[in-house]
Amino acid sequence: MASLILLAIYIGIAAFGPCLAPYASSEIAGSPLEEPGRLHLLGTNDLGQDIFSNLLCGARATLVLGFLGALLSVLTALTFGTISAYYGGRTDEIISRIVDIMMTLPGFPLLIVLVVFLPSSIFIMAAIMGLLGGLQGIRIIRSQVLSISRAEYIYGTRALGASDHYIMSRHILPGILPLAAVTFINAAQRFMLMGVGLGFLGLGDPNVVDWGQMISRAYSNGGFALGLWWWLLPPGLAVVLLSMTLALIGYGLEEEIEPRLKNINNSKWFTNGYARNN
Amino acid sequence: MRIEYLAWRIFYSLLAFVISVTLSFVLLHAMPGDYLHVILPHLAEKNPLATELFREQFGLDKSLFEQYVLYVLNVLQGNWGYSIQYGLPVTEVILEKLSWTAVILLPATLLSIFIGVLIGSYSGWTSGSLGDSFIFKIMIFLGAVPSYWWAIFLILVLGFYLDLFPLGGYMSITALDEGMKLHDVLYHAALPIVALTLTTVPGVYYLMRNSMLMIVGQDYILAARSKGLSEIEILLRHALKNAMLPMITLFAMELAHVIMGSIFIETIFSWPGMGFLTFEALRVRDLPLLQGIFLMDTLIIILANIAADFSYPLIDPRAKVGEIG
Repeated sequence: MASLILLAIYIGIAAFGPCLAPYASSEIAGSPLEEPGRLHLLGTNDLGQDIFSNLLCGARATLVLGFLGALLSVLTALTFGTISAYYGGRTDEIISRIVDIMMTLPGFPLLIVLVVFLPSSIFIMAAIMGLLGGLQGIRIIRSQVLSISRAEYIYGTRALGASDHYIMSRHILPGILPLAAVTFINAAQRFMLMGVGLGFLGLGDPNVVDWGQMISRAYSNGGFALGLWWWLLPPGLAVVLLSMTLALIGYGLEEEIEPRLKNINNSKWFTNGYARNN
Repeated sequence: MRIEYLAWRIFYSLLAFVISVTLSFVLLHAMPGDYLHVILPHLAEKNPLATELFREQFGLDKSLFEQYVLYVLNVLQGNWGYSIQYGLPVTEVILEKLSWTAVILLPATLLSIFIGVLIGSYSGWTSGSLGDSFIFKIMIFLGAVPSYWWAIFLILVLGFYLDLFPLGGYMSITALDEGMKLHDVLYHAALPIVALTLTTVPGVYYLMRNSMLMIVGQDYILAARSKGLSEIEILLRHALKNAMLPMITLFAMELAHVIMGSIFIETIFSWPGMGFLTFEALRVRDLPLLQGIFLMDTLIIILANIAADFSYPLIDPRAKVGEIG
């Protein structure tokens, strides 16, 4: 419950951050490297930009990256997973094989290369992460749909003359929505961390402020060596707190629908290997 | 069944490898920026002839298709090209960095599996207890903290404020006079190993806990208990062995994936491994080296997959190849 409130606060900041911030994100608001004080709540960075304002503005990019990526990945997984399991036969074979082969490719290096190759924008980054991440979700959704579509009531509905489309949207979709919700939250957490990681590696969108770039800047421009904690800690703590919030919501959801997820838990940990380390 | 499965497995692996070769080639050649403009911006402007020569030297003036065919032929012959940045064969550079990655990767993986199995099995065995829920919450916390944050945190606290460990690098400056010393390297490797372990433990823990949870309810555990065996004995002799099975796959995958996953940790600690190499290669647009890294990674993952698959039936005779995948 507490985590839901926290998440709401985060989303609020992401939506209204730029209005709340006392200074514009790129504005040089004071002298460089000021300590936290009345004028600058969290001090200033090496360019004299206000860190508190940057923190508020950065929330938007990071959250957009996480949630848009997660949304795309869940949609990909839902679409192909459902089609693959429901129609079976050759369609299933083709989709499963493609997933098999794509899963052999190292995901994170592929992501890095793609992000470098394509124009850097948070939306494109979110799209790539979503599509690559969705590949893993296809398997999870597929196995769940497989077990649902063997149920008697599906046969019954079909016997009544319902169309495939009707069955999929009215009877199968509600059955996998809880699972999709958990996948969504987990993916959001992962992609957000990944996005911040990419920003940290200097692959972020240079036009927007995000927390990864803030950490990277503080790290590489001497925030460390000078012991300027107020420069390095805020973006890091913001990331950790948000990540924990999402993780707690994810586990809360999972417990809520435990019986259905029990056997999927294992495969989840097998398949998201590459993402786990970010 | 066995032969057929083996054949399919190898076929898919080959296909994946070919795709990754093609993909890496296409992508890396379409990447914006080239090496000459990054490293020698003034030379490229002032002296077009140098640019010409450079292109000719590295075969960048041929058509894309020609470059591709040459590349595939070379890859198959074990010649993965020359790194522009290092001026050495790509395979040589990668193999050297790979061994440095192994220095932190192997201990970290073993350590995280040891710790993860230990607390995971305890947690699963006593699921629902106070200890279990306590550990579970800690693991959620550990898993939620990104690896780069662990690395920065460890350097800041243990390295900077407490001055217990070096801030980065892989050996002291004295190594120039005295040569490389094992304890010196280990001293520098300690923090990266801790950071890697911290990020991989939660995954091992969840898997172990889940796998233990499934075993706790089995009949043979009940049978063992009714024989009057002590809890510890049941845990060690009956439950643990079976619960350990998924660890094989995890171990292989962990080794394969972490090579790239450690990119943040290696970059932050300036540890001269594969992750750091990738970061550097990306920065200066060293195309042949990047292709090599990408290919090597695919290769390692494919091999790890196959190895995990085929070690299964050796350890658990019930699992015939192909039935557990």
